[in-house]
Amino acid sequence: MDLSLLPQAIVSGVLASGLYALVSVGLALAIGVIGIVNFAHGEFFMVGAFLAYQLFVSFGFDPLLSLLFVAPALAVIGALIYLSSIRFVLRAPELNQMLLTFGIGIILQNLALLIWGGDPRTIANVPYRSLGFQVAGVSIGAVPLGSFVISLLLVAGLYWMLASTPLGRAMRAVAQNRIGAGLVGLEVDRVYLVAFALSALLAGLGGVMIGVIQSPTPTVGLGFTLKAFAIVVLAGLGNIRGIVGAALTVALAESLVATLVPNGDALRNMVFFAIIFVVLVWRSRRVA
Amino acid sequence: MSSVLRATGLSKSFGGLVAVKDVSFEAAPGEIFAIIGPNGAGKTTLLNLISGLLTPTTGRLELLGTDVTAMPTYRRCRLGLGRAFQVVQPFPEMTVAENVLVGAQFGSEGVSSSEARRRADQALERTGLDRLRDQPVEDLNLLQEKRLEIARALATQPKVLLLDEVMAGLRPGEARQAVELVRGVRDEGITVVFIEHVMPVVRDLADRVLVMDHGAELARGTYAEVTSDPRVVEAYLGVEDDDSRAGEESADARSVREAPGDDAGATAGRDA
Repeated sequence: MDLSLLPQAIVSGVLASGLYALVSVGLALAIGVIGIVNFAHGEFFMVGAFLAYQLFVSFGFDPLLSLLFVAPALAVIGALIYLSSIRFVLRAPELNQMLLTFGIGIILQNLALLIWGGDPRTIANVPYRSLGFQVAGVSIGAVPLGSFVISLLLVAGLYWMLASTPLGRAMRAVAQNRIGAGLVGLEVDRVYLVAFALSALLAGLGGVMIGVIQSPTPTVGLGFTLKAFAIVVLAGLGNIRGIVGAALTVALAESLVATLVPNGDALRNMVFFAIIFVVLVWRSRRVA
Repeated sequence: MSSVLRATGLSKSFGGLVAVKDVSFEAAPGEIFAIIGPNGAGKTTLLNLISGLLTPTTGRLELLGTDVTAMPTYRRCRLGLGRAFQVVQPFPEMTVAENVLVGAQFGSEGVSSSEARRRADQALERTGLDRLRDQPVEDLNLLQEKRLEIARALATQPKVLLLDEVMAGLRPGEARQAVELVRGVRDEGITVVFIEHVMPVVRDLADRVLVMDHGAELARGTYAEVTSDPRVVEAYLGVEDDDSRAGEESADARSVREAPGDDAGATAGRDA
């Protein structure tokens, strides 16, 4: 183990945590407000990445500009998926819901494979891609830093919206008591629709950033569903406020394992499963 | 006088069980209308049909002249129907003020944020909750929870308020305060339809009483009329002797009647 890599591992983990929080907060929103565990969440992220890639290839759009186009596109995709399928399984057993969302994920993934093929795609020629600076031997890339800042701003915006706007109050009311919400005049189905569209939108914006950070393939989504799921489980199902702390924990764990453990890079995905496993076992012991 | 709430032949069956059988009634503007009956008489099912949590098997329901028989709850609310539950239904992770604000904001169409705040403040003040406005709901006691339930319903600006056993479990002094509150609501022109087990409360409040038994109407009239009806005495009051729950409630009720502040009615009368 080479401890001289520790500061770099910590900084990389912290910078990754912003994007993780952004993707996870959308998943937590769908679980917390609608009560649906969306296994297609990572595919919204993937679709966002490839839309940004296509906008870059076809029109030369900078990813920062693409954010403005991908957001409404993903909200519409999310809304259409909600209206065409999700709303029919809201009272169905959880297994049916999971199978449905998993199926939606497979459809989206294969549509992307048809359109863009299986090769990794990257938004390479942006001027700031290779920018970066060194602080005390730790290198900080402009792109990871930028994605961290943008992600945290979006998450903070969501928190503000939930805390202080009528729409946010409606979402919390529906999440906390669906019957009570209907009786004081809230149209629960419409709040669900908006929450699901917003959830897809947030994942899609995360996807735009991954298109610059990495070279995603159409199968990138499942991995991010898994990461987001580990974070959501760690925060507590449906707990939106706990997401930032949980994302930081998971991102740091991943970064430390990948950097400090020999051959650790191959163990990245194991970290998420281990976190889900430990948290579930620990919680169930506490309950029992 | 036209009715604000009219039920015509309402029935509800669950499989083979008929919970509500051919019930018809009208509530006039500004009236306090009580629905009473032994446990299992179908009172709560009837209230669920009125508020929209259940859809009737047959029959028709009109609210302010509009057919609302199959209308979802949120639209009934926006039309002017408020409901407070026996088992309170708050938003548990919000403050008192926020709970009421949700009702004010979404209980009517197109309410601006400032107007919603004004309505919420008004409802908090009227129910005596303004000092508790920043309390988390989980810190409230039962009386305060029931007040919150009523405050949230009032904030939706209802024309008809449904109260489902809001006196149950209250101590005598608390029940007296609740009676005053209901009178105050009626004095503002809101029609009140309520289910109640505590008989002196029914006596003090109700303009008219509908007695239900086995899902159907047994009697209807003033409190004096229905309580002197032999069928009611047999079906309803007769149960009290061998039903410990009813016995307990009637003890509650006696203390309401005998408590020193029994001039609550007189006070409200003067205010009106």
